[in-house]
Amino acid sequence: MNNQSIHLDVGNSTACYSVPVGPVHPALKEPIRFQFDLNGEQIVGVDIKPGFAHRGIEYMGMRRNLIQTLYLSERICGICSISHPLAFTQAVENAAGIEVPPRAQYIRTIIGELERIHSHLLWAGVGAHELGFDTLLHLVWNVREKSMDLLEQLTGNRVDYAIPIFGGVRRDIPAEKAPLAYEALEYYKGLLQQLIDAFLHDKSVEMRTRNVGVLSYDQAVELCAAGPTTRASGVKKDVRVDMPYLAYADIDLHAITPEDYGTEPIGDVFDNIIVRLLEVGQSIEIIEFCLENLPEGELTSIPKVPALLAALKNAGGEGIGRHEAPRGEVFHYVRLEEGVEEMAVWKVKAPTYSNLMAWVPKFLGDEIADVPIIAASIDPCMCCMDRVHIVDEGGTSSVRTKTELVRLSREKTRRICG
Amino acid sequence: MILGTLLKQLFSKPATNPFPVKYMPRSVTAVLKKVAAGQAAINPPVPTPADLRGKISYDREKCIGCGLCVRVCPASVIELYKPEGEEKSKIRMYVARCTFCAQCVDACPVGALATTEDFLLADTDRFSQNLVVE
Amino acid sequence: MSATIANTVWQGLVILFGGLLLGMIYKGLDRKLAAQMQGRIGPPLRQPFFDVVKLMVKENIVPDHAVAWLYNLMPLISLAAAGTLLFYLPLGGFGPLLGGYGDLILILYLLAVPSLAMVVGGFAAGSPFATVGAQREMVMMMAYEFPLAITFLSLAWRLSVLLPGQPVFSLTTLAANPLWGLVGPMGFIGLLLLFLALLVVTPAELAKIPFDIPEAETEIAGGLLAEYSGRNLAMFYLGDAIKMVVMASLMVALFFPYGLANLFSISGIWGGIIDVAFYLVKVFLVIFVAVITVRVGFARLKIGQVTRMFWLPVTGISLLGMLLLTLDRFV
Repeated sequence: MNNQSIHLDVGNSTACYSVPVGPVHPALKEPIRFQFDLNGEQIVGVDIKPGFAHRGIEYMGMRRNLIQTLYLSERICGICSISHPLAFTQAVENAAGIEVPPRAQYIRTIIGELERIHSHLLWAGVGAHELGFDTLLHLVWNVREKSMDLLEQLTGNRVDYAIPIFGGVRRDIPAEKAPLAYEALEYYKGLLQQLIDAFLHDKSVEMRTRNVGVLSYDQAVELCAAGPTTRASGVKKDVRVDMPYLAYADIDLHAITPEDYGTEPIGDVFDNIIVRLLEVGQSIEIIEFCLENLPEGELTSIPKVPALLAALKNAGGEGIGRHEAPRGEVFHYVRLEEGVEEMAVWKVKAPTYSNLMAWVPKFLGDEIADVPIIAASIDPCMCCMDRVHIVDEGGTSSVRTKTELVRLSREKTRRICG
Repeated sequence: MILGTLLKQLFSKPATNPFPVKYMPRSVTAVLKKVAAGQAAINPPVPTPADLRGKISYDREKCIGCGLCVRVCPASVIELYKPEGEEKSKIRMYVARCTFCAQCVDACPVGALATTEDFLLADTDRFSQNLVVE
Repeated sequence: MSATIANTVWQGLVILFGGLLLGMIYKGLDRKLAAQMQGRIGPPLRQPFFDVVKLMVKENIVPDHAVAWLYNLMPLISLAAAGTLLFYLPLGGFGPLLGGYGDLILILYLLAVPSLAMVVGGFAAGSPFATVGAQREMVMMMAYEFPLAITFLSLAWRLSVLLPGQPVFSLTTLAANPLWGLVGPMGFIGLLLLFLALLVVTPAELAKIPFDIPEAETEIAGGLLAEYSGRNLAMFYLGDAIKMVVMASLMVALFFPYGLANLFSISGIWGGIIDVAFYLVKVFLVIFVAVITVRVGFARLKIGQVTRMFWLPVTGISLLGMLLLTLDRFV
């Protein structure tokens, strides 16, 4: 038992035994280590240790020029693979003062929303698998194939779309391809009600997800959770609505909460399913709007690559970029130095990093049988998120505690700000 | 319950595309030998669009040796070298490292690089003929 | 005397191997049909045979913390008990091999042994996941044994009223006198309710979704069977296959023991073959409804929900069935 685990006060009994889950476990799609203290089947303590998917991407990025780093940022995560480039290009364009033409902004929005559809459907299938309901997994993932095929038609690859470039997009959505997109959207519109029936009207799914993994409104606000995790608790937080960017400024959007389905938000897993399925519907509407109102114009403001490389090298300053990824707000900070091709500083904050501590109130009080679905309910993406576990050369290992991390971050900020 | 969907699917064709063969064979090499000899067929994969970002093709004649592709490649795939007896430098690409982003295609000022639909590139040797483009 | 013993022994061996073979064939059908229902291709029908051969060849790991003699003994006991059950059930239209030596009460006890063996094996494995799985299996057994016992007792009692003096717990008697035709309309409904209760108990007995909580793959990484590998796991696997045949045969024997050959008055070799074929079809239908369709149609339930479900609705239904059967006597 780790003395850093957070405990629930159950009065008389102390935890009987402790069960580790992870880093390798069938419930987890990505490595993370949980240590649960159990009283029978009830979870009374939880400790989370991340750090298994840390790859040193920021270090690699700061040793490459910006165009190379763009493709590196795309590979931070396979599922949210356009969210990182969208935030990164915005950060660099912000720092270098590069304008993006309207057509490019709309195309970026379309691909971003298509990614949201595929990511939410992937999550729904994985959630069903954690519940033991493999049939829904196969049904939903079969349905998801249509969005992957459309993305392949539009961008040339099913994952890692390589669409954004500094100053615009690399590929157009010509008029010949629009019918493919409309056909896929019609397919999804027809299926959405069936998906909602399959998940939300199924008795066994409801038995497993209602009142499980509850995150109250106040807890969600206090822990600064992001994305559908916080919207399921009723917090109306959405970067696309609060600070519009790309084409979202032209669209009438609202943050989706379970109230849009007609129920009071409790913040349990069932509400998470509601929010994500309804967001699929919202994404379909956004894509339709963008396709119909696609403005004419150029695709990128600096089409020639040598000119782009020169502009980026001569840029100086800092910039931030944000995007509402399928999991929440992804945030990139970039600092450029004039005359130097590589970035001076690159900092990535993935959405799962904000949602990580939301796991603690969700787990406490529930059963071990709920562990997989609660773990899946925040839609964790460890590869986006990971922080580091330090092992000294001497062979001793240490984990930096919160106070130490705060101290180190303050020191680093002072170093960065000069 | 989704009983209706289940029973309907029981009698319809599966959604899986059985590429390359339906069931795992006893010996994969034996099947491949048969296919090479024309005695067995492999189910085709799902059709791909024409502008799929597959293996990059290289037109050596057009190449002027500017090296822009080397500068923008994120994965150090491209090697610029001066062949014996030629005035311009040429490139060599190691497909095993390639991420198929096609940034080199965009960067090339003379259009010597292009994407192809070739994606069946699995190999046991990183430097096999299929995986080095010159 | 020795001739009959020799006869019984080779018949027993035939039954045992036949049961194993059938169990694996049904397992293969289960995976194939479940896959088809999910829109996939699924493994070929021979897959369980490949699985068992592979498991036999793999290394048999005994964890450091395990109680080794218990850990290695339990799979053997599970397989032996499941195999023994075959001798007391009427299979393929023939009477039970050891019909005179064991009846429904013995079957009730023997059905519990493979599950208990898994529980002890889980505890002996010394892993937290196996412990959790073993605890869950124990609780689940306490949940489903009640409606199972009620069903058996109701059927036997009703038959004892109709045929006083005969050994009503014997499977031979039960199979020879299906109750559907012997009771009035109220009794018919009661029998239907008992059939329904037994249908729900079947996936729990076999630990299949929605009641596969002791082996929950995504939660406790295989639970009871998490530490087992190699030959031990192969024995548990075979035991599970035989148990599937056993439960389905039990359902068929108690509720649908009818034979086709009698209906069409065909006797001799052809009658035997038709009866065996009809029995196989009946067993397949039971497995299709109680195991395969249920397995793909529901999510896994939590242990609290499973217990509540068996102690309240399912026991209620079986008690109601018992009540109706009792009342039917006086009508």
